[in-house]
Amino acid sequence: MASPASTSEKPKLAVWKFASCDGCQLSLLDCEDELLAVADAVEIAYFPEATRAEVEGPYDLSLVEGSITTPHDAERIHKIRRESKYLVAIGACATAGGIQALRNFKNVNEFVALVYAHPEYIETLKVSTPISYHVFVDFELQGCPINKYQLLELISALLNDRRPNIPPHSVCVECKRRGTVCVMVANGTPCLGPVTHAGCGAICPAYQRGCYGCYGPKEAPNTAALADEFLRLGQDHAAIARFFRTFTANAEAFRKESVAHEHEV
Amino acid sequence: MQTPETVEVAATEVPRDGQDSPHFSEDAVLLEADALQALIDGLRDDGYQVMGPMVRDQAVVYDEIQDVEALPSGWTDEQAPGRYRLTQQDRARFFGYTVSPQAWKRFLFPPERRLWQAERDGTNGSFHVTTDEDDPPRRAFLGVRACELAAIAIQDRVFMEGPYVDPVYAARRRNVLIVAVNCGQAGANCFCTSMGTGPQATSRFDLALTEVLEDDRHVFLAEPGSDAGAALLDQLPTRPATDDDRAAARRVVEEAIDSVERQFDTDGIHDLLLDHLDHPHWETVAKRCLACTNCTLVCPTCFCSDVEDRTDLTGQTAERWQTWDSCFTLDFSYIHGGSVRDSVESRYRQWLTHKLASWIDQFGTSGCVGCGRCITWCPVGIDLTEEVEKLRAAVTTPDSPSTKDGGDRS
Amino acid sequence: MSTKSNGTHSKTIKVNYLARVEGEGALYVKVRDDAVEEVKLKIFEPPRFFESFLRGRDFTEAPDITARICGICPIAYQMGASHAMEDACGVTVNGGIRDLRHLIYCGEWLESHALHVFMLHAPDFLGYQGAVEMAQDHPDIVKRGLELKKVGNEVMALLGGREVHPINPRVGGFYRAPTRRELDGLAERLAWGRDAALETLQFTATLDFPDFEQDYEFVALRHPDEYAILDGRLVSNRGLDVPLDEFLDHIYEEHVEHSTSLHAAMKARGPYMVGPMARYNLNFEQLTPLSQEAAHDVGLGPTCLNPYKSIMVRTVEMIHACDVALDLIDRYERPDPSYIEVTPRAGVGYGCTEAPRGICWHRYSIDDNGIILDARIIPPTSQNQKVMEQDLWHFVEKFMDLPEDDLQWKCEQGIRNYDPCISCSCHFLDLHLDRA
Repeated sequence: MASPASTSEKPKLAVWKFASCDGCQLSLLDCEDELLAVADAVEIAYFPEATRAEVEGPYDLSLVEGSITTPHDAERIHKIRRESKYLVAIGACATAGGIQALRNFKNVNEFVALVYAHPEYIETLKVSTPISYHVFVDFELQGCPINKYQLLELISALLNDRRPNIPPHSVCVECKRRGTVCVMVANGTPCLGPVTHAGCGAICPAYQRGCYGCYGPKEAPNTAALADEFLRLGQDHAAIARFFRTFTANAEAFRKESVAHEHEV
Repeated sequence: MQTPETVEVAATEVPRDGQDSPHFSEDAVLLEADALQALIDGLRDDGYQVMGPMVRDQAVVYDEIQDVEALPSGWTDEQAPGRYRLTQQDRARFFGYTVSPQAWKRFLFPPERRLWQAERDGTNGSFHVTTDEDDPPRRAFLGVRACELAAIAIQDRVFMEGPYVDPVYAARRRNVLIVAVNCGQAGANCFCTSMGTGPQATSRFDLALTEVLEDDRHVFLAEPGSDAGAALLDQLPTRPATDDDRAAARRVVEEAIDSVERQFDTDGIHDLLLDHLDHPHWETVAKRCLACTNCTLVCPTCFCSDVEDRTDLTGQTAERWQTWDSCFTLDFSYIHGGSVRDSVESRYRQWLTHKLASWIDQFGTSGCVGCGRCITWCPVGIDLTEEVEKLRAAVTTPDSPSTKDGGDRS
Repeated sequence: MSTKSNGTHSKTIKVNYLARVEGEGALYVKVRDDAVEEVKLKIFEPPRFFESFLRGRDFTEAPDITARICGICPIAYQMGASHAMEDACGVTVNGGIRDLRHLIYCGEWLESHALHVFMLHAPDFLGYQGAVEMAQDHPDIVKRGLELKKVGNEVMALLGGREVHPINPRVGGFYRAPTRRELDGLAERLAWGRDAALETLQFTATLDFPDFEQDYEFVALRHPDEYAILDGRLVSNRGLDVPLDEFLDHIYEEHVEHSTSLHAAMKARGPYMVGPMARYNLNFEQLTPLSQEAAHDVGLGPTCLNPYKSIMVRTVEMIHACDVALDLIDRYERPDPSYIEVTPRAGVGYGCTEAPRGICWHRYSIDDNGIILDARIIPPTSQNQKVMEQDLWHFVEKFMDLPEDDLQWKCEQGIRNYDPCISCSCHFLDLHLDRA
């Protein structure tokens, strides 16, 4: 039920979905202790997952989840950009194309229309691309899923007119602050932490597994040096290509590294 | 900011290891190994939380201990660049491990702490600040190595001896009782002898123990280093150390000295590094460096921190937090519009030159204590001693291949 | 969204973008001369082609990759994928590790059901656009809902590492098992949760339900020893009783123009329903005694055929999940090691578990090195599409004379009865067509 315009003076928040699993939007709903405070501080103008109510744009903050994979969506994002003061891409799909960007690595000729009996019913693009390939993005919050506390930080920063504290350094910083013992050095377990963007709190090493890079590349990631270390640890090229080709496969540094190994023996 | 009361610590010299034969205090006594529990109990009875070594997650880490059973008896470690393996040995020494992945600094200079909170007063723009009541627990550090003592001394100088004293560090430091333990063997990455910081603890401890495990006995030679240490020993079943006891302790320390594999030539290192800031070798090492920050975060002397303001959604309350930071991050060198050290090369150079050269200008000593952690815990095993050697070789023999093509990768 | 009325005999009900469902869907109903002519649940969620890109991946990657099919029910995929790989490699996981799997799944049921009951469905019954609006007038109910969801999420965070896309489950078990002490903290919270869920059931009993019962074929897992969640045989109330590997002999999937999600149906009998109602109707006696008693107390018997009452059934399952979780914690002994080594071998494996929304069926074939050759996943919501459309059809037929806005809202609510997870249902297949 759309109402023509809002009478509230609070900043208007809109949440948009593209090709995604919904996990990043869910992170906002997972702020169980803070959700009502958020609803107090902003006007939730458009958030179909949470409410039927719709308030027209323009919006002060649009959170966009999901990647662009259809011609229809490639159009829709432009309208959203026009209506938004700040547009923030949240999650690996929106910031890097997501796991569904694995299609980007396939030669289209290798595909066979296997199960869709009526392929003419489907419209899809050859590639899955992040929002930034289509419109200017004011901020990218990396993560698969994003960290709900970082989302709150982002909203808080916007409301308080300050830069968000979302450091782009490595997961190693979080690991060492936490006091976790490095799984790679102490156990030979391959870990992408040294090239991965912080934000998750270094969960995987705390659970005795190596980081698998779901937050995407950090700034200045030296993937080549890390891949060399993986080789020394006994991983083969195919495995290394797979390490760099998951949820942020299409992010430049990871894409380059996976491509460098995929045909090596 | 108020200056705190003077902290009672000894002079600021970094303890120098005797390259002569190891020497032990006149007041040394002998303690049976099974009295170690009584030592721990005595500390706890005096109100100290005892932090000591234990095995967890395939390494020896420091955490609270209450029983000797928690100590890593029979464990040692094998270290190499980028590699650490906990292994068992026949000798059931309590302190047979070498260097843990963690430094004691995490208890004195915590990874994260709140500095103050602020709350708005109405809507006129003013606000009031409340500082947390800082009441750090009394802690006893059990198992501090000589290199770690040196590192604590260095951080004491950084945090307490300049014009601005860090009150939180000072308060924690004041509440710490140090039980040093001399090394009986060197780790493969250790080079304390080259840095003059070990392996024997000679000062700045409350109590120093040397673990002697021989066929017929398992004892500790215990040296008091302060009134508190002496008082602790008085509560325990000890007897004065004999010449034999001292000889046995000497053998332990000598074994440590002899087992040091790594030598680091620090001659003229200050000018070597600072006069060659544009050398192509920096680019060579940068190709391997991940800028992951591990070296700085395991280093017991690194002291850099970041300060960030956190707000709630309404803007009514804010908090200022201090967290560990590292010169290897992009944001570290951010000043008004951009980061000054964009390239990994510039960051690595910054770290190495600060640690080994400009630190001397700032604080009068090297920033490095030769513990080798940065070598072990670097995911790709970059060895700073090797990098300095390569640079030295490259600049002293100008015709060597290193200067022409930037050096080779080992 | 609009409801147009062309005279008294014909109307079109159209909702262009369904709210309070997960994923992108729309509904369209056409009525002409007092008869329903067409019903479409339009799914236009863009397909992501998981089964395609799973090929060539290592079998150990399946839990992490398939988790990304859904942010609300990742455990369902992680368990299904893990079981299927273990099946292919001839490994069965029992004992303490299986108990941990059961426990984390209880957490997911609790978190997902609480999300649905309080935030996605309850607003319909009380006449609110959403939970935030509802919180203005019913703060206690919404807060209780958020807290219950939080308890479920705490289970996920401890056992899984984090709530969305847990990192701890793996083929063979878990990377790290929690200590007894860590679980004791959870037990307190689950005890509160159980009480809160009981209170919630009382609340759902006060809601207004349209008089609308249907005759369904229910399909769910059945396990000899427990209210099936992790494994079992596939059964229905109309004679289905097969092991997992025979499922495809009995159902078919078809591609309809208005949905990017394949429709499923019984070959022999047409549409079927999966999910809490199916489980409840098929396996009621296996709910914990407390849950059964609570159901009886609010007038729910072992059979419930009104899809609008699914909100009550979900709440009973929340009680059950807390109850089971508490029992699992009570008898917990930390398994060491926390996972079984699984050596790959060429073969086909099947895994099927009860996601919060119903059975989620996986089949993979792998080679000797553990590389995935083929993947097939049938998620619950795609299986419910036909029965959702059927419900809409019958509902509009019966309640055609309701005021327009009310009828439209009830239709939307009718979709929400199924707690559809649309992103899951369209993770789909290998296709390729590019006109761009």
